[in-house]
Amino acid sequence: MDKPLQLATSMIDPTLLARVVQGDQQAFSQLYDYSSTLLFTLAVRILGNHDEAAELLQDVYLEIWRKVSRYDVGRGTPAAWLVTLTKSRAIDRLRARAARGYHAEAATAGQIADPAPSPSEAQADQELRNAVGAALAGLPQAQQQAIELAYYEGLSYAEIAARLNQPLWTVKTRIKLGMSKLRNGLQQWRNEGAPQ
Amino acid sequence: MTHEELEESVPLYAAGALDRIERQGLEAHLLSGCASCHSALKDYQSVAALLPLALSPTRPPRSLKATIMAGRNPEPIPAQSVPNDPARQSLEPGEWMDHLFPPDAPVQSWYLPWALGLGVLLIVAVGGYLVWNVATQHSIDTSNIKQLEASLQEKSTKLAGVDREVGDQTKTIAELRIELQQRTNEAAEAKEQLAQREAELEETRVQYFVGRLSQPGSTRTFGTPQDEFATLLRIPNVKAVSLTGSDMAKRAAGFLLYDARTQKLWLYSVNLPESPTGTTYQLWAIHDKPMSIGTFQINTGETAHLLVKKVASFTNAKTFSVSLEPSGGRPQPTGPIYLLSRS
Repeated sequence: MDKPLQLATSMIDPTLLARVVQGDQQAFSQLYDYSSTLLFTLAVRILGNHDEAAELLQDVYLEIWRKVSRYDVGRGTPAAWLVTLTKSRAIDRLRARAARGYHAEAATAGQIADPAPSPSEAQADQELRNAVGAALAGLPQAQQQAIELAYYEGLSYAEIAARLNQPLWTVKTRIKLGMSKLRNGLQQWRNEGAPQ
Repeated sequence: MTHEELEESVPLYAAGALDRIERQGLEAHLLSGCASCHSALKDYQSVAALLPLALSPTRPPRSLKATIMAGRNPEPIPAQSVPNDPARQSLEPGEWMDHLFPPDAPVQSWYLPWALGLGVLLIVAVGGYLVWNVATQHSIDTSNIKQLEASLQEKSTKLAGVDREVGDQTKTIAELRIELQQRTNEAAEAKEQLAQREAELEETRVQYFVGRLSQPGSTRTFGTPQDEFATLLRIPNVKAVSLTGSDMAKRAAGFLLYDARTQKLWLYSVNLPESPTGTTYQLWAIHDKPMSIGTFQINTGETAHLLVKKVASFTNAKTFSVSLEPSGGRPQPTGPIYLLSRS
């Protein structure tokens, strides 16, 4: 199932989810193939631990299987639904872990990372990856840092302000401006004829 | 919070940067059915969902898929039968889609409308509480902001007063500088006028003196010879030449002054011997050849004599002499030299 196109994020469409809702096991298998690399990458980035990320992904996909009927295309793209759900659950784990005084560094020691996608697999999403990477790299370092702290570490802007020793409104503005620039940059990329 | 503030918090919500209270406030607002915020959130959620694409991709373990496929129930569970987690105090960032806009799927059983109704009531109640909570916090914040604004206003007023005072002082200094400059200019003008008056006075005195000297028979009109020469030396642009006595009259001496402006010449001689009858002293200006300037007599007992002549020009002459010639003078010197200038 590791065909290049099957790993493209754009292949996760509402039709596929509708098939999953109908209990189509092949559709669910395809959904996994299309999305698992993206979601696992996200989970590893947040948790810093491959085993825990795999465990999280197992929970997430089972939750998707249970709740897929709730998804409505009018509320957001399928990818947005999957990513936000995964991020939310990963941040939950991160907070629970922090409450227990657990450190990711200790857990990741000795682990062997799975290989990155093959060149042919990466090629499928490469243009989108490049566009997102360019949009993110185009942000001022401070805006990028604030967004990443919120997105990957689950910190509120008040917590970010405390960590960076910056005024609240400064951090708030950085995140707002950064997100707005990302939205505009990606919109422009789409308007310029990005592959759909 | 105003609608504008809520709308501005949408990108922060999508990034996961709002704290619980603000998140609940926005969710309550979204529950009210705000279409513009809903649309904006959809946009920003799409952007946020793409952020992991910027990461270096990592594939999950190959065994994971099999584990997941084996762990599923036979079929997806309908959404309405999934109980909400009571421990959660707010919608999670990824779950707004699940809660805010219930799907249009047909009701599966008789109790679902009741459950939905109760759920809506519960959500409205929670939303109301959240709105009240946010409003209370907003009121406190507003009060604090007003105090800060009042303090800022007071400081601004004081600062404006200081600014005004500094402005006045600066203006006064500028006026004083202008006045000082005017006084300096007036003093310089007065000094210049004084110098001009002094020059005019000196000119008047010289003209008066020259006029007197130019009158025939006025050679002895002015006090002592020293006074006369002191006055002559003050004439502007005057050329002065001293003459000394030759072996014929070792005690004799002379001073010759020439004013180029008036083209007048004065020769003041002292201790020349009396000119014998039938002779006369003759003054010569010598350049390439001697040129006669004029003649004069020294009478018995006369020790000083002033000769005044108007001559065209002898500016090139370097040497002057006085010789004793026959009465009426000669075109070229023929007699002995009595006075001779240093070359």
